[in-house]
Amino acid sequence: MSTITKVFDWVNHRLPIQNTYERHLSKHPVPKKVNFWYLFGALAAVVLVIQIVSGIWLIMLYTPGEAAFASIEYMMRDVDYGWVIRYMHTTGASMFFAVVYLHMFRGLLYGSYQKPRELVWIFGCTIYLAMMAEGFLGYVLPYGQMSYWGAQVIISLFGALPYIGESLELWIRGDYYISGITVNRFFALHVVALPLVLIALVFLHLVALHEVGAGNPEGVDIEAHTDQDGVPLDSVPFFPYKVLNALVGIGVFMTVFAIIMFFFPEGGGYFIEYANYEEANPLVTPDHIAPVWYYSPYYSILRAVPDKLGGFAAMGAAVAVFFVVPWLDRSNVASIRYKGILSKIALVMFGISFITLGYLGTVSVTEHRKTMSIICTVIYFSYFLLMPIYTSIEKTKPVPDRL
Amino acid sequence: MNLIAKRFINFYHLSLIFFVLFCIFFIQNTFSAEGAPCKDYGECDEFKHTLTDMSSLQRGASTYLTYCYGCHSLEYSRWNRVASDLEIPEEIFFNNLVFDASVKPGDLMAGSMSKTESAEWFGVAPPDLTLVTRLHGSDWVYTYLRTFYEDSSKQYGVNNLVYPGAAMPNVLASLQGNQQLICKQIPVIAKNGGEKRDDFGNTITKEKCGFLSVESGTGILNKDEFDKLIYDLTNFLTYVGDPDKVERERIGWYVVFFFIIFTSLASLLYREYQKDYH
Amino acid sequence: MIGLTSAFGAAGVPFAATPFIASWNPSASAKAVGAPVKVDITKLAPGQQIQVGWRKQPIFVIRHSAEAIKNLDSSLSKLADPNSDAIDEPYKNQNPTRSKSSEYSVLVGVCTHLGCSPKFFPEVEPKSWDASWTGGYFCPCHGSTFDLVGRVFKGVPAPTNLKVPPHNFKGNILTIGEDEEMS
Ligand code: HEM
Ligand code: FES
Repeated sequence: MSTITKVFDWVNHRLPIQNTYERHLSKHPVPKKVNFWYLFGALAAVVLVIQIVSGIWLIMLYTPGEAAFASIEYMMRDVDYGWVIRYMHTTGASMFFAVVYLHMFRGLLYGSYQKPRELVWIFGCTIYLAMMAEGFLGYVLPYGQMSYWGAQVIISLFGALPYIGESLELWIRGDYYISGITVNRFFALHVVALPLVLIALVFLHLVALHEVGAGNPEGVDIEAHTDQDGVPLDSVPFFPYKVLNALVGIGVFMTVFAIIMFFFPEGGGYFIEYANYEEANPLVTPDHIAPVWYYSPYYSILRAVPDKLGGFAAMGAAVAVFFVVPWLDRSNVASIRYKGILSKIALVMFGISFITLGYLGTVSVTEHRKTMSIICTVIYFSYFLLMPIYTSIEKTKPVPDRL
Repeated sequence: MNLIAKRFINFYHLSLIFFVLFCIFFIQNTFSAEGAPCKDYGECDEFKHTLTDMSSLQRGASTYLTYCYGCHSLEYSRWNRVASDLEIPEEIFFNNLVFDASVKPGDLMAGSMSKTESAEWFGVAPPDLTLVTRLHGSDWVYTYLRTFYEDSSKQYGVNNLVYPGAAMPNVLASLQGNQQLICKQIPVIAKNGGEKRDDFGNTITKEKCGFLSVESGTGILNKDEFDKLIYDLTNFLTYVGDPDKVERERIGWYVVFFFIIFTSLASLLYREYQKDYH
Repeated sequence: MIGLTSAFGAAGVPFAATPFIASWNPSASAKAVGAPVKVDITKLAPGQQIQVGWRKQPIFVIRHSAEAIKNLDSSLSKLADPNSDAIDEPYKNQNPTRSKSSEYSVLVGVCTHLGCSPKFFPEVEPKSWDASWTGGYFCPCHGSTFDLVGRVFKGVPAPTNLKVPPHNFKGNILTIGEDEEMS
């Protein structure tokens, strides 16, 4: 036995490396036929790593507090390749949401939240919630005009709560306006607290997934047919098949990532908003304020309700409703391929209303657009609230036995 | 070769390619978020930067330092960086363009005016312009600087079409001349798209106002020369707003190229392994 | 015994949590700022608005034309709370301007919806957000509208009228943030 093997053996007797590696990576069975929709989870993990690494480097260059704005320009100009680090992080933030939205849409498309994957889905929704908080806190850090007024609006949302609202707002800010004090605490949450939460949640998401196994676009239960060792017949080992498959996806994704990062880092004003090139000014709201694109659907819902508390409640409900989807879907099949026409129409309408709300959230309000956003908000909620009805009355197609 | 092509072109890859195209399309300015509008001017005039044209950037820098820097700092930018990026030898730069002898090459271009004093003179302190092209866009800057017009109701006798009520004098008036808003008789367009004529065949016109016109002979430069001057100036400000743009895009090509090759290799390898279970 | 130990342990949690929660309150230094500001209002022309900062909040000072004051009541039916009954109005029923002066309005320029600063659009002309606009404030964030003296219109997200800060006119000087007569 070589020395290396000896050392490995020694460790392995004390720490279950080989076991874990085989169970969760090398031999872990995955469905043999999935499509590109199943890549976005892996991509989200890649972006998480990108965000953590670029984030750690940003901390070295960034100064929290009211000097934040100047420190961003310092890293962008005076630090060698500082712009690479920063654009990696800003592009990463948008790409994170892009892949997570597609990942979630996959869930709706193929019923991935159905039994036995309810917990996987719930951990996923919690990750999404934590990401929204993380993205918001990060957006405040550069202390530009959009940082300031975006934070002003979001923090004021808490003011809509009866009785405690106003003191809660003051408590969150720690000052009478969004000052360096506020930026400092947001910085601590953004770089330490929430990343820890996110990593823990991603871990739970994956552990829960490996317990029940990955789904597939047919909605076939591959565990129903196994060989004598209990390995599903329609599965392949994670390594090398799934890894190579993911590698192709990662290559395509990184190409897109690089194109954005090096050629369109501002994403036409959607990824880094133009108004954030001006330092925060508590006395003047920019003419046009809009959230970054990944919040804009919810922002539209907020604007669609002409009532302070009502708008806040609708916005919260729009996110919260994702958590209960596993219990809203009463269908006896998982995949959209075997669901009936009603489910198909509902999903398409939902997709259209989500994108339209997203668009409306980035433009200014006019009477016409306000009506549009009300209609889309109604469709958005109908998709979920009517789901128990249309999934139980429609006629589904028989699901095949094997993949 | 044919085999490889076939392997590539299946639905799976096509959808990935579509996704990429969609992303690129989305990022392209076709979809740009609402930025600064050009107010009463309508659409801003389009500005296409040429960040590798050193003589344009040098002329722009010179115009900026002569006419603008007295009020507007470039406080995130450093003197020697501008000199080296614009390929101006430091000696020439500091002797001819920097009017403040106390400036050291590595200093920030922090301006010479006190913010509170200037706020008293102009009502608002002249803003720092390092990031103006990123905040409003180069189109906006290019148009703004060319649309000052005489308006006696204003503090400095001028107003601006792009930024109505701007608290800035037209510092380039001696070059441009006196620009006014005038009214013109313009042909009325009939429903069929042609000009409307009266019974005698004369074109019917109506008065329309809001056209910019420079009183001839009042400016040192003619219109083309002045537009060129503003072009260079805007080009310089575009550079100052994003000094690494050229370098970034140069590196970008290598990175994108790298990932395309990587993707192709990974894809071929994956196909190879896929034979095992198909 | 298990119950007692757990209960005793749990009772410690609020105590342990207190410093973590209380440290988020505004610190003494944050509370210290906020002296009143003085503005000279002679330069203001009728129909004009200026903006001053008080405690880092925008304050709008508007000088109304006689005509604008006269027209204030023309859109009464469109207002949600014309008499400011829903809020703590410091100078209630003194002047149509809601301030201590019959000509000037003094408003906290913070939208009562989610805290943006509304924009001043004094013109009477159709706007993209209201075809029968009669002048007032438009909030760029979610489209709340207020009339020229900061009273909120019906059917917009903002629940209440813009606030009026304590203030005082002495000759040409307007003091914002302090009112001797009130205290
Ligand atoms: C979990 C996913 C994350 C998301 C979605 C996210 C999102 C963001 C966003 C949107 C910004 C504002 C960027 C800008 O406009 O400049 C930002 C800034 C920042 N982030 Fe993150 N972030 C994440 C993780 C992290 C982590 C793990 C760290 C550090 C350990 C970190 C450190 C920073 C720092 C220091 C800044 C401020 C510098 C700057 O604004 O450019 N981030 N983040
Ligand atoms: S903050 Fe003014 S309308 Fe929402």
